[in-house]
Amino acid sequence: MSTLDLNVGPQHPGSGHMRIKAKTDGDIIVEATPDIGYVHRGCEKIAESRNIIKNIPMLERPNIADSSHLNWSYIKPIEELQKVEVPERGLHIRTMLCEINRIASHLYGMAIMGGIFSGHTTMYMFGFGDRELLLDLHEMLTGARMTFSFFVPGGVRRDLPKGFIEKLAETLGYLERHLVAIDRVFLSNPLFVERARGVGVLRKEDAIKLGVVGPVLRASGVACDVRKDTPYGVYDKVDFEIPSFKEGDSLSRWLVRFEEMKQSILILRQLMRDIPKGPIARKSPLVVPKGEAIGRIESSRGEINHYIVGDGGDKPYRVKMSTGSFKNLAALPFLLKGVRIGDLPIIYGSLDYWPVEADR
Amino acid sequence: MRQSDLLIIEGTVTKKMLKRIKVIWEQMPNPKYAIAMGDCACSGGLFHDSYSIINEVEKAIPIDVYIPGCPPRPEALLNGIIKLREKIRREKVYPR
Amino acid sequence: MTATSSTLEQDIAITIKEHLGSAVENATALDKGRISVITRKEVARDVAAWLQRFGLDHVLAVSGVDYPWENRLDVVYFLSSYSRDNLKHVVVSLKIHLEREKPSLPSLTPTWESANMFERETYEMFGVNFEGHPNLQKLLLEDNWDGPPPLRKDLKIPELA
Repeated sequence: MSTLDLNVGPQHPGSGHMRIKAKTDGDIIVEATPDIGYVHRGCEKIAESRNIIKNIPMLERPNIADSSHLNWSYIKPIEELQKVEVPERGLHIRTMLCEINRIASHLYGMAIMGGIFSGHTTMYMFGFGDRELLLDLHEMLTGARMTFSFFVPGGVRRDLPKGFIEKLAETLGYLERHLVAIDRVFLSNPLFVERARGVGVLRKEDAIKLGVVGPVLRASGVACDVRKDTPYGVYDKVDFEIPSFKEGDSLSRWLVRFEEMKQSILILRQLMRDIPKGPIARKSPLVVPKGEAIGRIESSRGEINHYIVGDGGDKPYRVKMSTGSFKNLAALPFLLKGVRIGDLPIIYGSLDYWPVEADR
Repeated sequence: MRQSDLLIIEGTVTKKMLKRIKVIWEQMPNPKYAIAMGDCACSGGLFHDSYSIINEVEKAIPIDVYIPGCPPRPEALLNGIIKLREKIRREKVYPR
Repeated sequence: MTATSSTLEQDIAITIKEHLGSAVENATALDKGRISVITRKEVARDVAAWLQRFGLDHVLAVSGVDYPWENRLDVVYFLSSYSRDNLKHVVVSLKIHLEREKPSLPSLTPTWESANMFERETYEMFGVNFEGHPNLQKLLLEDNWDGPPPLRKDLKIPELA
């Protein structure tokens, strides 16, 4: 059987450079190998030569659409080693910013990976237009639209400004109404449903074996989420559900993200109601004490782990980042075996793979 | 790439990607222009001391407009494209 | 955390030590769901198989840590569970000490498929040879990288103030 080698990428209209080397027999993909590293910037090596505060802007850049989770995941093990407890108000503000960031990141994902990759430009416009309101909220709170560098060991850098809660309530009201429109135009649209239903099915046993995380895992019937299993921040004080579906196809992966946006709006409404008073940060020393610690945070693309080894100085001895997109990469060659070329953008898009986060 | 006039390099240029950027640049027909968007494309930015990136992309591809910022605001990108248009307007076209 | 969960971590550490005996040098329960297990490379495959049957079904990360003045290179696997409810919040770290000169250990990809890409990255960044890995090739670096493995302390980056 003679096969044709097809190159998908590395430059393609997605969220970063990565290449898929596909061997095709006619219209069917026989084997697909991902080729990554086109945006590998050496974050872990640079982190060993800068002190812990200067690392914060650098280590949150791997995922600019979802940077607050990367920030928290880097700070959490350092706080554990320093034995610093963040005050209640600081944790509250951190959780609020992370949930707003989660909605913005899911809108970005649905716009590009869902919309552009299936040729649906209205979803692209809706997603990016609504995301602008959330970026305005980010700017009001932190001063920056995307990469905020807002969390420091011990707390957060600024307090809630006047008028933030009212603007947040207004934005959430608008989002709730507009999510219905997004559902009608994209997720319930028969054109998209026919392309995505039953495509790229990942069964429960395979999902556990491959170690996938995030919405990809929850769409395959495993209802695991770090916010419920190992709560951090104030997630143990709010009521929310973990959406999960049994089918494991591309459509369910998008439905999980859509339901997660609705749950985030619910969480934010509860968090807006009673914000504890008090300090927003506690003083923390500028050293990483001797020892090792690992942090677990649920970002919008899956679980992030930061493993920090300290040696007593102000620079970390070793920083290992394990991001959601890197873990989900294992599913790509598995899902692309034996499918038609026309299904490749749908499957690749439904994994919401962010190359810069995987390459670091 | 045979149909585009403008190449926007956004973000860091790694050594692995440089070969492919050169291929894309050579595929574009004349007249062609390039914009370097973001601190990393202009000068290396936050990652300037990394072992795997190229700090000065203008050694490989001639850049017409630099847009600083990390990340640049949308208004900065529009401003950069307007500056490129002014630069194109100032160019002279000689009849053969 | 309450007393029940710290006893759970101690129970797990004691169970691991009982069943694996001399194969693990050390099994300690730290707080907040962390358990640290140190083993040797000769018995790493058997320890991994037992831990997988115990319920730790996927790998969170695999990392190397380089200690040049102790002539030691550690490889650490972080494991957790999706299928056992009482292990969902637990992270078990499996550490193996290796020598810096030509480090190698049996690949644990046959036990945990999720370790595949992580082992490739550790091979590329630290120079550790994983025997029996299905596809041990470069992942992230450029095609003709000829320097030392980047994350070893041999490669120096100029330090800023």
